[in-house]
Amino acid sequence: MSAILITLLVIGGIILFLIILFINTYNRLVTLRNRFQNGFSQIEVQLKRRYDLIPNLIETAKGYMAHERETLEAVIQARNQAAGGLQTASANPGNPQAMQALSGAEQLLTGALGKFFALSEAYPDLKANQNMMQLSEEITTTENKVAFARQAYNDAVTSYNTYRQTFPPIAIAGMVGHGQNAELLDFDSEKIAEAPKVSFT
Amino acid sequence: MGVAGKTTPQALLGEFPFTSTMSTDFFERQATAHRHTGRLVWLFCLAVIGIVAASWLVAFLAINYVEASNAAHERPNPPGLAMAPLYVAIASALLILLGTLYKIVELRGGGSVIAEQVGGRLLHHNTSKAAERRLLNVVEEMALASGVPVPPVYLLEGEESINAFAAGYSPSDAVIGVTRGTVEKLSRDQLQGVIAHEFSHILNGDMRLNIKLIGVLNGILLLGLIGAILFRTAALSGSGSSKKNGGAGLVLLLVALGVFILGYLGTFMGSLIKAAVSRQREFLADSSAVQFTRNPAGLADALKNIGAKLRGSLVKHPHAAEASHMFFAQGIQVGFTSLLATHPPLEQRIRAIDPGWDGKFPTTATSPATATATPVAATVAAAVPAAMGLVGEQQATAPAQPVADVAGGPGQVGNPTPDHHLYAAQLIRSLPDQLTAAAHEAYGARAVIYSLLLDKDPKIRERQLQTLDQHAAPDVVKLTHQLIPVVDALDVHTRLPLVDMTLPALRSMSTAQYRTFVSCFQELVAADEQLELFEWILHHILLRHLKPQFERVRPPQVVYYGLQRLGEPCSVLFSSLAHVGHTKDQAAIAFAAAKGVLDDVPLQLLDSSDCDLPQLQSALDQLAQVAIKQKERLINAAAACIAADQEVSVREAELLRAISDTLDCHMPPLLPGESIAPVAAAGSAQPVKTS
Repeated sequence: MSAILITLLVIGGIILFLIILFINTYNRLVTLRNRFQNGFSQIEVQLKRRYDLIPNLIETAKGYMAHERETLEAVIQARNQAAGGLQTASANPGNPQAMQALSGAEQLLTGALGKFFALSEAYPDLKANQNMMQLSEEITTTENKVAFARQAYNDAVTSYNTYRQTFPPIAIAGMVGHGQNAELLDFDSEKIAEAPKVSFT
Repeated sequence: MGVAGKTTPQALLGEFPFTSTMSTDFFERQATAHRHTGRLVWLFCLAVIGIVAASWLVAFLAINYVEASNAAHERPNPPGLAMAPLYVAIASALLILLGTLYKIVELRGGGSVIAEQVGGRLLHHNTSKAAERRLLNVVEEMALASGVPVPPVYLLEGEESINAFAAGYSPSDAVIGVTRGTVEKLSRDQLQGVIAHEFSHILNGDMRLNIKLIGVLNGILLLGLIGAILFRTAALSGSGSSKKNGGAGLVLLLVALGVFILGYLGTFMGSLIKAAVSRQREFLADSSAVQFTRNPAGLADALKNIGAKLRGSLVKHPHAAEASHMFFAQGIQVGFTSLLATHPPLEQRIRAIDPGWDGKFPTTATSPATATATPVAATVAAAVPAAMGLVGEQQATAPAQPVADVAGGPGQVGNPTPDHHLYAAQLIRSLPDQLTAAAHEAYGARAVIYSLLLDKDPKIRERQLQTLDQHAAPDVVKLTHQLIPVVDALDVHTRLPLVDMTLPALRSMSTAQYRTFVSCFQELVAADEQLELFEWILHHILLRHLKPQFERVRPPQVVYYGLQRLGEPCSVLFSSLAHVGHTKDQAAIAFAAAKGVLDDVPLQLLDSSDCDLPQLQSALDQLAQVAIKQKERLINAAAACIAADQEVSVREAELLRAISDTLDCHMPPLLPGESIAPVAAAGSAQPVKTS
């Protein structure tokens, strides 16, 4: 049996195996990416709901907290910034800059809202207002849904990153458009742990 | 005269080519489909053997030529030349096998893999677009009407054409894909026709056949591809003309050419077969869809819209060709249109549904592009008058009216009708908004399931709630407490549909969240050692339908062709059934009724203390692996058991549906006033009114 033929067959077999491995790995990368992109679209829905509720909340509070304009405006500004961050992020889920920008904006918003709610404790009339109660209840529920959706997204991103970094995917990931780890979304940061200062002047 | 005026399913089927001999009996159709699939697989095996033999022959001829040429020029033959044909044959066989296996493994990911490969995006109920919500509502109504878990829906964004597909091994992992054109350009009636067509594919098991076809064809195609590559390499290196190694290079060239031709020829022949089979299944799906909606106008109009030059059904995505036979209409352009087309010609399909058609396609937009949220009652009621125009006899009855000429239960498996659709639409509307909103999101769906599993007994419920506190997050527990009064007030016939409704949302959880959820609700089930059979089966069904999404689950295999060896699992199942809500004497009668149907199986009535839930679990797992004809007998026996005491409560009827679901046979909801009668009743069993 010609040595050339044997070598040829063996090489051919190895090449075939490698091709199949390549295709399988690529498909799996695509599937895992789709999964976290789907996960992000869920977060987007809940965040949009949250951003829609906030202006109503501020409107309701304006009647009672006329002197707290700074706090109220801070909330609206943070909300607008976060909404902008969400739009950028939804165009490119997993992209590090976009995700970090969104995380930052969300953290600021949560901080601003926290100050707002702490402040509203000093206005029992506002707290008793039906609309206010309903809105704050809805915002809390929406925040829980955001947390749940974020957990699913982060799980999916971790799966993608872990797979991408193992061998053999790591060998080809760079070549086929999967060269970067996807970024996790982190909405709770130590920075918010400091107690908001309430002034009664 | 045509479909208009015909009301019996058999008469409807008679209008369609090839299907006049098809049975209206679901089990009969499934058994026939399995036989055909078996025959098809044999055919392909023969084809593969033929190709391998032909490649051997090609190598043999090439070697003869080279040997003759060498002898003529008095050159020595390269060593091992005589063995070459054998190696070529082996290599061909291996390549085909490899290609087939690879494809089948790839498609094991289920329907969602295929949907994503053709560019689909998963839709969620909390979408902002009304047109997408309408699509999801239609799919949900039809799923509940068929007794099938609601499948995830994928939208093919970039496709302006009108087309749709269903993919997946079984209803548990089925997905539906729809193009953007379909969503925006069709009216609700037409959309219902298209979706009914896709559901028919799911119920008839066409998807499994399709996936196998893709797999085998891929193997043959691989052979052609490798041949092409080898040929090009050999030709480029000029080894054909080299005389150094005695023409071994020439052998390679000739063999590669031969294999390349064989591969492509094989693919062509395979595509012909695939297309012919596909066309037949399409007619069957069309006829089933017409049975389902009894609104031929909807489906016919959708097809006419496709025919209109403006729209068409061509799908642009590069991977569409692979899945072409899964689409609703011809998805890719083919040269030999009639032979390789995976779908029958549009004109033929339209005429089968609407024989009075004048042959002209609509030239302007005839369907409402604005999809405002129309109340379901209005649109569904509108569908009936439209059907009235064509059919001319049926009155638009309220769903509560008994369906006189059709028996419910086993006879309806796999055969949903418009009455079921109306019933399902009404059922969805009757659910409180808070509950449907929760069921449509993964976050709330968990709470819905937890509250469905709570026992009525306050002590056990207390224990379950404590377990829930320990294992679940506080916000979910709070939501569960909010939903408890709502769920408690629900009628028992909404429980199984509610589980079916939560499935798409639950599937969108991450794997870690799924594990937490499953351990949590298994704790809930375990906290109640006296769990009612019905609640337990609900949890079993939920697990069965969720698992394929998150874990590797083997597609359903048929292991048992007879029930003789399954005396023990059958005894466990029917004893459990017999004891539900019966005293000991009644249980004995009920069990005897089941035994009457399964006269060749060694059944023995067990004490209620002897059939515990783990035993029942393994019994159901085993029984899920029997052949379709035996499943029919099992469902008949279960119906007989339940109907033995002449009084079938709604709860018992739902239990029958749940058991049928565990066997992968989907029974539409029982309509009020309907009676339960076994399939092909021998005349001895009395039909019984549901109360």
